Amino acid sequence: MGTQLVLEKWPAAISTVIIGATKDEGGSRSNIVKIGGQTSLPLLFKEGDLPNKPKIAFEIWDIPPQDWQEELISAYGKAINDPFAWAEKCVNEFKAQLLCVKMQGAHPDSGNKTPQEAAKFISALLNKIKVPLIIIGSGDDTKDNLVMPVVSEAAKKERCSIGCAVQDNYKTLVASVLADGHSIIAESPIDINIAKQLNILISDMGLSLERIVINPTIGALGYGLEYAYSIMERARLAALSGDKTLACPFICFVGQEAWKTKEAKVSVEQGIAWEAITATSLIQSGADILVMRHPKAIQKVSNFIETLYQG
Amino acid sequence: MQKFKVTFLPDNKTVSVDKDSTILSAAISAGVYINSTCGGDGICGKCKVVVEGRVTSQPNGIITPEERKNNIYLACLTNVHADLKVRVPDSSRLNFDKLTPEELEERLSGLYSKTEEISPVKAKFENGVFKHSPFTTKLYLELPKPTINDSISDLERLYRALRNFGGFPVIQTGLFNIRQLGELLRDYEWKVTVTLGRRNDMVEIVLIEPADTTGKNFGLCFDIGTTTISGQLVNLNSKKVLGTKAAYNQQSAFGSDVITRIIHAAKSDGLEQLHNAVCDTMNQIIKELVLEHKVDLNTVNCIVCSGNTTMIHLLLNMDPSHIRKEPYVPTANFLPVVRAAEAGININPRGLLSCVPGVSSYVGGDTTAGVLSSGLYQKEKPCILIDIGTNGEIVLGNQEFLVACSASAGPAFEGSGLTCGMRASSGAIQKIHIDKKDFSLRYSVIQDKKPRGICGSGYIDLLSEMLEAGIIDKGGKIKAQNHRRIRKTDLGYEFVVCFKEETASGSDIVINEADIENLKRSKGAIYSAASILVKHLGLEFTAIEKFYIAGGFGTYLDIEKAIRIGLLPDLERSKFVFIGNSSLAGAREILLSTQAMEMADNLAAKITYFELSVEPGYMEEYSQALFFPHTDLTKFPTVKF
Repeated sequence: MGTQLVLEKWPAAISTVIIGATKDEGGSRSNIVKIGGQTSLPLLFKEGDLPNKPKIAFEIWDIPPQDWQEELISAYGKAINDPFAWAEKCVNEFKAQLLCVKMQGAHPDSGNKTPQEAAKFISALLNKIKVPLIIIGSGDDTKDNLVMPVVSEAAKKERCSIGCAVQDNYKTLVASVLADGHSIIAESPIDINIAKQLNILISDMGLSLERIVINPTIGALGYGLEYAYSIMERARLAALSGDKTLACPFICFVGQEAWKTKEAKVSVEQGIAWEAITATSLIQSGADILVMRHPKAIQKVSNFIETLYQG
Repeated sequence: MQKFKVTFLPDNKTVSVDKDSTILSAAISAGVYINSTCGGDGICGKCKVVVEGRVTSQPNGIITPEERKNNIYLACLTNVHADLKVRVPDSSRLNFDKLTPEELEERLSGLYSKTEEISPVKAKFENGVFKHSPFTTKLYLELPKPTINDSISDLERLYRALRNFGGFPVIQTGLFNIRQLGELLRDYEWKVTVTLGRRNDMVEIVLIEPADTTGKNFGLCFDIGTTTISGQLVNLNSKKVLGTKAAYNQQSAFGSDVITRIIHAAKSDGLEQLHNAVCDTMNQIIKELVLEHKVDLNTVNCIVCSGNTTMIHLLLNMDPSHIRKEPYVPTANFLPVVRAAEAGININPRGLLSCVPGVSSYVGGDTTAGVLSSGLYQKEKPCILIDIGTNGEIVLGNQEFLVACSASAGPAFEGSGLTCGMRASSGAIQKIHIDKKDFSLRYSVIQDKKPRGICGSGYIDLLSEMLEAGIIDKGGKIKAQNHRRIRKTDLGYEFVVCFKEETASGSDIVINEADIENLKRSKGAIYSAASILVKHLGLEFTAIEKFYIAGGFGTYLDIEKAIRIGLLPDLERSKFVFIGNSSLAGAREILLSTQAMEMADNLAAKITYFELSVEPGYMEEYSQALFFPHTDLTKFPTVKF
């Protein structure tokens, strides 16, 4: 007698978030990226639908990166000194389907770009490349509150995903995202309750839960990965059981965490492995978008995803 | 050591102190009370005074440069270096106003509720659940004179007569009474009144008096709260309550919560100071009660005290330090009956004092008394008693089991530790309504005076109304908007409840984001403790038949709003019963019935203490409750903002 698989059926689904809008939809993207929509835990293909594969977004900055180590920078060559060339290289050479641009240049400590300069950059970038965009603020709350509304407006109708809203600073960003038709990235400090509370606060402002992507905050391999893993798993279990306030896709900033570790600084091979393993682990806990840095790590994880989804 | 004179205004009290003494310690020796919630650690900033004369002061972040220009100092960090004049402003003063009789009546009989206004404590008392057999009983005896054929001793003769009244187990008499017995009996023709008192399992002849004085037999019951002390004078024959009084626990000068007091007790003379403070407060209440009701202090024969474990330790001058240290063991939970005089309480010098037995270091006799008076232990279905205080005690049970835990909720709901918080006394805003459109505000103030601050029930109203009007979000952050009541300060946003023109102090009454955070933690601690206790026993809130809410919320608490902010679970409103000061009610029952006294002993032994801090799910439960009303909105289905 063959072994009978015990299948678990869940009553609810993760919401589907679309990033990018094509010409038909009023935007100018060549493709769109769909994430979420699952009705089962990650990779349990027999238990429910997993309509969208996890996606990888190449992390780029609006200025040449300051604290990236040499091995990482050299992967992009000279292009990295020009954000537009860098972006084009990701798309043309490495076949990126999705870019995540961090507006680091607006940070008071790294250029202090004006909101108008930042908006001009985004407009130009949208003109030059045609893949969908994720746009992340510099991390300085006060400055981001000035910059991000203008940036959001410059990308109006392009259906970007914009972040990061945090518990103490979400209102300005929510208002812009709401007005300009984007989705929002809601960041919580590896804390399922705060993730939930922030989603409630955001939806209280009128932005529907279907337009939220959760950034659960992760740690790299050896740096709290298991903690992030279990938080994501718990959130997924709650969401699939019917908790709408947690039924949003996850975005995980893998690159910035993996390349921060001292292990990644030992050798470029080890750095790539560190980034890739962190990413693949997070795929198993439910990550929908992985924001990554090294093209080789991205290639490895891409292959991994393809293999997993061959069925 | 050089001495200096410090004069406190407007009290006009002068005291001579050593050089380098702090102004706060000078104030304490002068009997002038200055607020000091942190117990003199220089943290709370409540002890601001205006100083004339030379002092040195330690730097602190509390006094602003402008205040310093106006000679404002923190009393606890400022040392005397010359003769001084110190003015204690209203805002730094403990308000020792006595509560009005109406307020007390309301406070003690139950709190206002939209859904229900009953006082089961009182009702039960009148129905008489326990047999009337007071702590001390007076019996008038006419003894047969001894003859050559009936020559038993005077004391045996007395015992023989007493046994005719029924089965007293063991009778004990103090040497003091025996020494004067022979003369007393003969002088008054063998007609005497004997006062019998219960001393645990024995009966003691407390007092032998000439002639018939049985008509004058009085007793006292007290609730010794960390913040408020309430006492009642009761006619033990008729069970009638003659009067009730309350005053603020003078220990407040040494810190606002039990932990700061325990720390203070460890300082030199600290225990003595705390002991004296509680005795002084109680003796003052007793004095006023007997004077007002024309009762001779010598006819007050007994007193029953109910209080948390720390308060009872301090009353009896016992070292409380181990309550605070792991594994949190008190010196005693069950205390024998002692003479009131031994504890420093002034009633009849041979009068007896009993303390309601406690359960553990953090669940005290006040909880036992609450269980007794709420009748929780008689219910068939599980019920909950929630005492909302600095230490929120929660008891869950029925006639078969009782489990109690204690949540350190902090003093926020008692108005302490908040920018404009105050206790529920004269001048406190206790009821607030905010117009959703223009944020105009209506409020009611205790005794209809100009507002001085906001009390616990006022804060519950305020939070609920601010959520309703969209002034704060569910996380408790004030939404920035252009309105004259919403201002940005260095510490974040604040909302102006009363502008200075309306207030007693002449400065604005505000609530800021830190206050809201504080209140959020308090309500979260109480809700999650109740929730975890229910879960621990495999129950759900819906299985609970009644919620008895006790506490010193003043005269008003809006159950609907308490639910809306997530302090109480969202259930049928008719399940909630407000019982006010259940500790005092329990103490009174014990005073009037030895049966109740025995029941209290049984209850204290029966209640199982549940330690929250070692419960793995507590932190999770607590974090979920740190939201208005709760992170899991499905737990509050009727609450919509």
